[in-house]
Amino acid sequence: MANRYQNRIELLQGTLDLLVLQTLQWGPQHGYGISQAIRANSGDILQVDTGSLYPALHRLERQKWIAADWKVSENKQRVRVYRLTAKGKKQLLSERSRWEQLSDAMAGVLSPAKRGQA
Amino acid sequence: MRFPWWLRNKREELDQELQSHLRMAASERMERGESAERAQHAARREFGNVALLQQVTRDQWGWRWLEELLQDLRYGARMLRKNPSFTLVAILTLALGIGATTTIFSWIRAVLLNPLPAVSDAKRVVALEELAPSSEWLPTSYPDFRDLRDNSKLLESMSVSYPMALAIGEDGHAERISGELVSGNYFDVLRVRPEAGRFFSGPERDDAQNAHAVAVISHSFWVTRYHSDPSIVGKTVRINRYPYTVIGVARDGFHGSLPGLDLQIWVPATMFSQLNAAGEWMLQDRKTRTFRVLARLTAGVEIEQARAEVESIAAHVAEENRSTNEGVSATVLPVSESHWGIQDSMRAPLSILMGASGVVLLIVCANIANLLLAHSTSRQKEFSVRVALGAPPSRLARQLLTETLLLALSGSLLGLLSTMWLGGSLRLLIPESAARNLLRPPVDSGVLLFTAALAAGVVVLAGIVPAMHGARGNVNHVLKEYGRDATGGTQSPRLRNGLVMAEMALAVIAIVGAGLFLKSFHLARTVHPGFEPEHVALARFSMSTAGYDARQADAFCRRLRERLESQPGVVSVSYADYVPLSVAAGSWEDLEIEGYVPGASENMKIYRSIVAPGYFSTLKIPLLKGRDFTIDDDISHAPAMIVNEEFVRRFLRGEYAIGRKVNGWGQWLTIVGVVQDAKYYRLTERPIPYFYIPMRQVYRPEFVFAFLVRTAGAVDQAVAALPREAQGVDPAVPAFSAMPLTEFIAASLFQQKIAANLMSILASVAVVLAAMGLYGVMAFAVTQRTREIGIRLAMGAQRNGVLWLVARQAMVLLLAGLVAGLLSAAALGRLVSSMLFSVSPSDATVYAFAAAATILVAVAATLVPAARAMRVDPLIALRYE
Repeated sequence: MANRYQNRIELLQGTLDLLVLQTLQWGPQHGYGISQAIRANSGDILQVDTGSLYPALHRLERQKWIAADWKVSENKQRVRVYRLTAKGKKQLLSERSRWEQLSDAMAGVLSPAKRGQA
Repeated sequence: MRFPWWLRNKREELDQELQSHLRMAASERMERGESAERAQHAARREFGNVALLQQVTRDQWGWRWLEELLQDLRYGARMLRKNPSFTLVAILTLALGIGATTTIFSWIRAVLLNPLPAVSDAKRVVALEELAPSSEWLPTSYPDFRDLRDNSKLLESMSVSYPMALAIGEDGHAERISGELVSGNYFDVLRVRPEAGRFFSGPERDDAQNAHAVAVISHSFWVTRYHSDPSIVGKTVRINRYPYTVIGVARDGFHGSLPGLDLQIWVPATMFSQLNAAGEWMLQDRKTRTFRVLARLTAGVEIEQARAEVESIAAHVAEENRSTNEGVSATVLPVSESHWGIQDSMRAPLSILMGASGVVLLIVCANIANLLLAHSTSRQKEFSVRVALGAPPSRLARQLLTETLLLALSGSLLGLLSTMWLGGSLRLLIPESAARNLLRPPVDSGVLLFTAALAAGVVVLAGIVPAMHGARGNVNHVLKEYGRDATGGTQSPRLRNGLVMAEMALAVIAIVGAGLFLKSFHLARTVHPGFEPEHVALARFSMSTAGYDARQADAFCRRLRERLESQPGVVSVSYADYVPLSVAAGSWEDLEIEGYVPGASENMKIYRSIVAPGYFSTLKIPLLKGRDFTIDDDISHAPAMIVNEEFVRRFLRGEYAIGRKVNGWGQWLTIVGVVQDAKYYRLTERPIPYFYIPMRQVYRPEFVFAFLVRTAGAVDQAVAALPREAQGVDPAVPAFSAMPLTEFIAASLFQQKIAANLMSILASVAVVLAAMGLYGVMAFAVTQRTREIGIRLAMGAQRNGVLWLVARQAMVLLLAGLVAGLLSAAALGRLVSSMLFSVSPSDATVYAFAAAATILVAVAATLVPAARAMRVDPLIALRYE
């Protein structure tokens, strides 16, 4: 239990938006599905707190990066399904490149330190 | 107060969305083999606080402010409903304060701020006035107008107007209405469009006299007299017995160029001599100063530039026409500062009324703040619980402000309704004879905006202090005392006492103001007018609307006089063109007096009336020397005049006056008599030089004659006889304002009377409101101290001592308020000194009266709570614990 807890990583500020947009690139999905997909794709490391997910979804919707419709799911339930808009796709691209820049920069800073430890 | 449907839907959808999330999470767990109950439980635990999540998610929508506002409103409305007596008092007093202030504002707006409604770009319209060497303003002659118009470049257009009463309709059914004689470009200068038909055009606009008998009527006249019949355009109507063609109807809301007055018909100024039955020379004579000039500034020109240009043109005209215009200058003024119309005399009374109603509104605000404070003290528990549950103090403050807002809105709404109802009462400020054409001030967007601003002001003034106080709610302090009577901390009494002191001070100011005006009015009433108005009947006749020339008018007057003299009880009959102490402006003439050298800028325009024989005996103005006019003082005899004592004192050094020569109207007149001074315009005026000339020597057709009948019998019979006998002479000459002379001249004191009455009403309201405030504070203090009083009594305190305990607090408040009020009243008094008659603004009796009245009312307001304190039963008080 303790081990599992350590493996979980707190999401960095702003990264949840990127994860949601990226997840929706594969197709429309409801809130529960999005949280499951993020967890599965990160190998159970990234756990999205529902308390952050729904505010984020509604914020992205207000910014018109994603849109929502009511649909009936496979098990006959009414669910609210989100999909990426054209504006959202552009946003995803720019957020991705920002993220890649950031992670490159982080790697550059962290690598010499790793060498020093070794 | 519910959420709008779309917001309700959104909230419902969010709830469904989260529910579906929970169901999916639970059913996945059940698929993994968990029991339904466990699965649901676990899913819910994993999910966290649903309510909080909903709140945070809703915040993302950006409608939180609306949700909170609606919540506050709902909650506020509930609080107000729960305290109906508080709510009722607050709303009614607010409606009173806001209604009074808004009504007076609507008057000020109609008369002073927005004097030309329905005129496009009215700010660019200016009044052009000529100035005598003494810098008194002068009406403009038609030739002067032409010179100014043709030479000005900074005024893109310039028009004249001459307000006059016209008789419209057939003989016997003629209606007397007010209109203007205007130059052809009048509607262009004002940029008014016709509602139907057209305005003056083509040759109607040139200067040729008596060539174009056309008329434009107002929208309201069109509606009331012609029932909005569009075919009126092109029809012929009779104006002063002459046929005129109606060519157009002005747009709704346009009421002419005189601020505050409702004029109904416009006729070309070139028809002046026809409508006045006068010679054409009047529009060619520079000395016949008749007209008002309005102009529109050329785009980009400032009023100062136009003024400089007009001054130089006037100087040029004066140089070219020395005999008529020597020393005459001209200036340009905003319309609201021009001397035509009622605004000049209304400015001071209206601003003072505005001040007084502002004081009342301030007291209302203080009262409401006080009630809210008392209220919030008893709500401390509720606030503390809310704070303890996580409401930020700012939210509590907003809640309290919202409650004040609800009160202010309801009060404003009621106040606006009363304004619509009271709007027409502006005419109460003006004597009947002058108020006939008064405009009913509209409740328009400007007035609505003003009311909204007042409501906002009320929220700030009455709401801020209780809100800040409520927001300070200290959780620990109050929760600890839970179950006991919350004392509300130490801040509240000090605040409330301060408010009551302010109310007392404001009430004192209001009483001092009312007292000054009342005393001034009563003093003015005791002034002797210099004639005996009792037992005299009066009626007025307009010669021009009858289309009479000088001979016909003379014949009419003599025949009417004969008929009246044969009535039973009639002692004497006379007539004149001016009745002393009427509110109408008088006429004057430039005089040159033999043997008198006027000072450099001395005003030699001397007021006069034109009178028939027997005038002085009819009014009982004592003839001191010489003789009265006779029937022989006509154009075939030497011009005669009678002067008053002040005339003799001022211009003849008090020497023997009979036989002295005076030049006026371009001829030499001989003084044949001297009469005692009288009051001519206001009872409050100082003696002014005045003279009389005989009717049959100077006839002017625009005169309105007043017939005066002195009777030994009932004055009412004489009043009834006047129009009846006039009908017998010529049915086409209607008598108007037939009434006893005492009634007619009461108008001269009208402003003082109204100022005194309205100020008294406002002051009484102020005192009652302040007393309510004091009563509220004292009653509350007694309730709060019931336990303390009970203990004191149980320990053996005397009941008188308890009375003193309560009375002491009230006295401190009263004295502090009294001193502050008297001092501020003394400071403010100077502002009204110009409106007072022989009363100093620091009149000691008025201040003493104000102090006494305030003390009396304050004692009455304290007595009830103090008596209750004395009757406190120690047993019950302690058990109350």
